[in-house]
Amino acid sequence: MRRLSEFAKAKVHPGSWWALGLSISILAGQSTNLWFVSSLIGLCVGLILVFRSTAPWARSLPFYLLLASIFVLTRIVFRVIFNGDPNSSDVALSLPHFNLPLGLGQQLSLFGSISWSTLSAATLDGLRLAAIILAVAMSNTLSNPRRLLKSTPAALYEVASAISVAINLAPQLIDSLQRVRRAKGLRGRNSGSSALTSIIIPALEDTLDRSLQLAASMDARGFGRTNRLSMRRQWTNRLVSLGSAIGLAIGAYLLVTASSPALPVVVLTLSLAGLILVIRLTSKRNLKSRFNRQKFGSADLAIFAVCAMSFALVMLLSNQMVGF
Amino acid sequence: MKFMKVIGRAAIVMAAVASLLVFTWPLFISAASTDQAALAQGVFIALMPLMVVMVLVEFAAGDLSTKQLAVLGVLIALNAVIRTLGAGTAGIETAFFLIVIGAYVLGSGFGYILGAASLLVSALLVGGIGPWLPFQMMAAGLVGLGAGLLPKSKRAWLAVSTMIGYAVVASFAYGALMTMWNWPFLAGTGGALSYVAGAPIIENLGRFVQYELITGGLLWDLGRAVTTSVLIALSGKVLLATLSRVASRTGIQKI
Amino acid sequence: MLKLSNLQFDFGNRDPLFSRVNLEFQAGEFALVCGPTGSGKSTFLRCLNGLSPHFTGGNLAGRIEIDSTDVTGWQPHQLADLVGFVNQQPEGAFVTDTVLEELVYGMEQLGVAETEMKSRLEKLAANLHLTELLDRELTELSGGQQQRVAIAAALSAGQRILVLDEPTSALDPKAAADIIALLHRLATEEGITVLLAEHRLERALPSVDSMVIVHGDGSVTKQLPTEAIREFRLVPPVVELSKRLGLTPPCLTAQDERLKTAVVPAFHASSIEQPKDFVGQAALQLDSISVRYGDSLAVDDVTLSVERGEVLALMGENGSGKTSLLWAIQGSGTRSGGTLTTPWGDTAPMTSEERLCVATLVPQKASDLLFLPTVSAELQDSDRFAKAPETTTASLFQRFAGRVDPSLHPRDLSAGQQLALVLAIQLAKGAGILLLDEPTRGLDYTAKRALAGIITELRDQGKAVIVATHDIEFAAQIATDVVVLESGRVKFAGTPAQVFSVNGLLASEVSQALQVDGLFSMEQLS
Repeated sequence: MRRLSEFAKAKVHPGSWWALGLSISILAGQSTNLWFVSSLIGLCVGLILVFRSTAPWARSLPFYLLLASIFVLTRIVFRVIFNGDPNSSDVALSLPHFNLPLGLGQQLSLFGSISWSTLSAATLDGLRLAAIILAVAMSNTLSNPRRLLKSTPAALYEVASAISVAINLAPQLIDSLQRVRRAKGLRGRNSGSSALTSIIIPALEDTLDRSLQLAASMDARGFGRTNRLSMRRQWTNRLVSLGSAIGLAIGAYLLVTASSPALPVVVLTLSLAGLILVIRLTSKRNLKSRFNRQKFGSADLAIFAVCAMSFALVMLLSNQMVGF
Repeated sequence: MKFMKVIGRAAIVMAAVASLLVFTWPLFISAASTDQAALAQGVFIALMPLMVVMVLVEFAAGDLSTKQLAVLGVLIALNAVIRTLGAGTAGIETAFFLIVIGAYVLGSGFGYILGAASLLVSALLVGGIGPWLPFQMMAAGLVGLGAGLLPKSKRAWLAVSTMIGYAVVASFAYGALMTMWNWPFLAGTGGALSYVAGAPIIENLGRFVQYELITGGLLWDLGRAVTTSVLIALSGKVLLATLSRVASRTGIQKI
Repeated sequence: MLKLSNLQFDFGNRDPLFSRVNLEFQAGEFALVCGPTGSGKSTFLRCLNGLSPHFTGGNLAGRIEIDSTDVTGWQPHQLADLVGFVNQQPEGAFVTDTVLEELVYGMEQLGVAETEMKSRLEKLAANLHLTELLDRELTELSGGQQQRVAIAAALSAGQRILVLDEPTSALDPKAAADIIALLHRLATEEGITVLLAEHRLERALPSVDSMVIVHGDGSVTKQLPTEAIREFRLVPPVVELSKRLGLTPPCLTAQDERLKTAVVPAFHASSIEQPKDFVGQAALQLDSISVRYGDSLAVDDVTLSVERGEVLALMGENGSGKTSLLWAIQGSGTRSGGTLTTPWGDTAPMTSEERLCVATLVPQKASDLLFLPTVSAELQDSDRFAKAPETTTASLFQRFAGRVDPSLHPRDLSAGQQLALVLAIQLAKGAGILLLDEPTRGLDYTAKRALAGIITELRDQGKAVIVATHDIEFAAQIATDVVVLESGRVKFAGTPAQVFSVNGLLASEVSQALQVDGLFSMEQLS
């Protein structure tokens, strides 16, 4: 186990885990087969158990499992309570039926007879969501967030740096808070409305000082140096970005109001292309180089192959209209 | 130069409009596109992260100095830590008061990044990453963006009460957006509390309010509004002073 | 190489920190920058790489030229490939986790190509003896190694100017000497211009080419070291010592052979004594105190007593249990066994407010106790809380720190002033026992001397003072009694003369320089 997690850490690019997670969630979202979805869930949990490390972000499996089961249960309970179907033939549960008046002439119908088909549809829906959650859990658990931050596009470099500063500061901040809370007793204060500020303020000031010192040190070593983009580039950038935003709004609106998905999908795809262009153009400001950048290797290729193959399978099966 | 900035801001506004559509689509989905609902859900889940990235890039690229980044890092960390400590207690939402105060002092761009990044980092730290995360990031980012636009006041009590008023509105708005997002997922279609494609917006809104009432969503929102207001009332004045002092001492500008 | 013309810096409201500064530095010059606390020497150094005014605020006027290029007003990142900067505490300035990452960080930011990075890295690591350390985590390194990494990181992008702000202040004498030797080598062999701020002048004086003095009255001058030392007000202790021994010209290093052969006049048995009136008046009695956290025993069976008017120095390595013992005495820390007696009773069962009347503790980071926006707010709050007459705390503070603008933010005070403020607040309720945890951290000479004065005054008032410190020179200056802890146990208890003398457990610098039995501190000579 230990060896495998070391292997995952050394050989697999964090982006690959996310690609795998994304493909699993798309598969799960499109599937209508209970067993297939269940096996995807099993796959995710299995991958986590085999490859996870001992880092803090890798310990959240129980949390995700709990969350997934809550989703499945809520989905079923909701159907049972609100989706009573009095005319169904295959009654699975026969519960007393209530009508809840809500005022304004509306009423809410609760319970009643629940059919097998309602129940199995609810279970499938719930399990689909659970599979998506666990797929994300898998990606999140197996990829080091700091490594992933290092591979963010250069356009987001500032934000990614702020986040990695925050991740580094969080433990120090907890230390500061504890230290200050202890120290507060030395001044004889234990409670009162000033408690909040008398702990948070010194800890915040302390952390701010440290963070600004760190920022000064980063700047003094060249952080923040960028290429200047030409005026034309900047204009293209801004206009494409405005165009994509408008496209996104129109596309989203059309998708839920037009009768065919063709036009909105085209509009959204174009806007998406625009967005990617903006991100690439903005990244041109970057002049940084990387020492020993983590490259995609054979392990990553294998993962991508698995993703591609499963997609091919899905296309094939859905063409033949087989329920998968 | 100035005009270019206006276009950038317009792009941000359009992206915000697009994201609001993505949140509230069950309200105005037409009967004709009922079959596209599942597709729309999927597409929106894929689009939301990109919208968040786009607004972040518009605000951050080139405008964010190392100093701002340092302050941002501290506030994100503090937010994540407080949120982690307060997590699990029903209805207690501690992430918002810092977002509002930070944005009030350092501007709406700062507020957007702070809101979005705070939720990301606390999700990274405690494990809460999922398809909902980009939606939470966008909603919290918009809360910060709005707080940056609040009218400023030299008098501390006036500033604090402005922020409290905004915090109450923002808490409910955030709650409504997030509930709206999970509404189609949890209530499905065809149920008494589900949305009805093609129905008038008012009717769907009515069904949504029922859903909020019955699932107790409003109670959570109330909890969020109360905690945020109380925290701002308690710490607003001192935090304003601390942040303004740091900002003026190191010459940090608003973005 | 580096030319400053008519340089001026001010923080807006106040008088300029320095003005009309005209200096020139050659390639390969090793310059020592010194000046009294608050003179602005840190700001002066930070002007050279843009951190002032860009990170500190303030206004810069005049002209800075590097290799005949005007770089006035440039941002730090614009200057990053020209000027390397090293800070007081390396651990606060490290940007990454491992030595390797730290060394390449600057090159990555500046877009150096990967092959070029590799070759520069190899050369640099070999030159600064870091090759074996490349894969280590920065936090595992010793202070001296950390500072070496910081210097290497500041030079990795090929910078020709190196600016260092008190890089040796957190180091032991041996590691500090190594760093100075390294800088000397960089200047002479690599032709790098080195500007070093250092308050322990004697460490650097023998190696430097020139001495820049930031006087604090607005002027900044540059002279040869031998000339500068004659008129400089802030003389290093070894110079003062040689003056007291009547040696002319004064010795510049503690290794000077003349010190060992000098004729030593009669001296007191200790540098400080318990006032006669308080002899025999017990203030604190500890009987086999122990502190246990989980499985580990932080304090193990410690028995000691302190009388009124005594100053006990609690010495020992980090982790020897000094802090745990102080917190246990104060009463709010864990105490797993043993008894504690004071004339006012045991501190453990008291409320935190009652403890303030008996034993008060100033923690390592004194500023943790400050949370109000102005000094005057803190002072008034303290009076109100202590139910003391108005200005009680303020007058204590003024006695400790002199006049300080009460409208200042406590965070803007110097480290020494902050300590004085916290001391005044903590003593407002008149506690008889004062506990200080590493109070000299971050203090310079003058501030340490001021603190010693405060402690002497409190001793005269009959307070019992316990100071946990590993600053041998400071302990030698203020202690009437010494206890040395090791892994939670008392390793040695005795008089300062026994501990700090030539053959003692912790020989002071004066002892080592003079090698005279029983003479361990300059204060004994007066």
